[in-house]
Amino acid sequence: MIQGMHLTPIGSGIVLLEPGEGLDPSDPDAYLEPLVGYLQRQRASRLIYDLTSVPLIDSIYYGWLKMVSDICRVAGVQLVVVNMAPPAAFALSQILDGPPPFLCALNVDRAR
Amino acid sequence: MAKKRPAEISVNETLVEQLMVNIGKISHVIERQGHSIFGQANILSNDEINDYSIEFLELFVMLLQSGDKLNRRGAEYKALRQFFSTFSQQIQVRGGSLEEFVRYIQFMQRVMIEELETDTALESHQVRGILLLLASVFNDIILDVFHVYLEEKERTIQAQQEELREISTPITEIWDGVLTLPIIGTLDSSRTMMVMERLLARIETDRAKVVVMDVTGVLAIDSQVSHHLIQMIRAVGLMGAEAILTGIRPEIARALTSLNIDLGGVTTRSTLSEGLKEAFRQLDVHVMPPQG
Repeated sequence: MIQGMHLTPIGSGIVLLEPGEGLDPSDPDAYLEPLVGYLQRQRASRLIYDLTSVPLIDSIYYGWLKMVSDICRVAGVQLVVVNMAPPAAFALSQILDGPPPFLCALNVDRAR
Repeated sequence: MAKKRPAEISVNETLVEQLMVNIGKISHVIERQGHSIFGQANILSNDEINDYSIEFLELFVMLLQSGDKLNRRGAEYKALRQFFSTFSQQIQVRGGSLEEFVRYIQFMQRVMIEELETDTALESHQVRGILLLLASVFNDIILDVFHVYLEEKERTIQAQQEELREISTPITEIWDGVLTLPIIGTLDSSRTMMVMERLLARIETDRAKVVVMDVTGVLAIDSQVSHHLIQMIRAVGLMGAEAILTGIRPEIARALTSLNIDLGGVTTRSTLSEGLKEAFRQLDVHVMPPQG
């Protein structure tokens, strides 16, 4: 159990991450190690990050996603971000100066 | 109640008396002018013209009877102005011209002024008072008519702009999960925002997997336009769809290379049809001619 996020193994080495309201993206150190520990215990090969509850992505939240992506890569886990709302995609496209370091899919089904 | 002496009679009362004496004649003249302006052009029917003339005179008399002084905040004054606003809207909706309508209102005023000449008993200060009153009321009415006209024009322009925006960004689901977006003209910041908003919403609702963006209709490209184009492609990717850019004409390709725009991560195809083939390939859809 990691404070601020809900992690669910959904089969075939895939873990679904649903961020909760308690998640503080400006404090990544509080989450990254426990997250990798969990993924390794589950022998996960893919982490699906569900953005349904994230209405907008600013540079702080994008920084957090990059850190999750980096640590996943180190741990041999592929990060796929799903359910990005149109306003969030719009806002993030303004911040990006290159392709994001993670994969994106429309929904969980397409990310499996 | 004792009858007022002439000096005590207000301008309003004097005008009401005038109108009452000549109401039939005034009404007839106004109706005849209405028929000549609106009847011949089939903008209003004879009954409508007659009804409007009677309603105008009724409202005008009610206004004059509402007090010795003109009360601009009174219900009677508002009713008269509302009458002309509605009248004006109807004339506009039916294709009548503002100029003719204003002339008609001025004609109403003139008819009343002309009737003053026939009354030799009126003293100069009374005539002056009536003229000022008529000028004040009719000026307000004409201003209201102009406001209605401008508001209607504004609404028309906004509706046309909205329609133009719709036409200039026709996002079509050409196949299950495949959207096409032909971009015509130039991409400035506000248009990019609008196109992106619609495109991203369509990706979400249509659950699109591939978006073919065709720039055949883009005549010129500069660093700002190309920046917007790349932003759009990135946003499509963030929604989990694949963007395919098609229709890059040689001069646009040349401009992109001159501007050092990196399209390395973007799938490009020469034509829209090639783009569709690529979309089908990505979706593992095979289109074959019918056997036979």
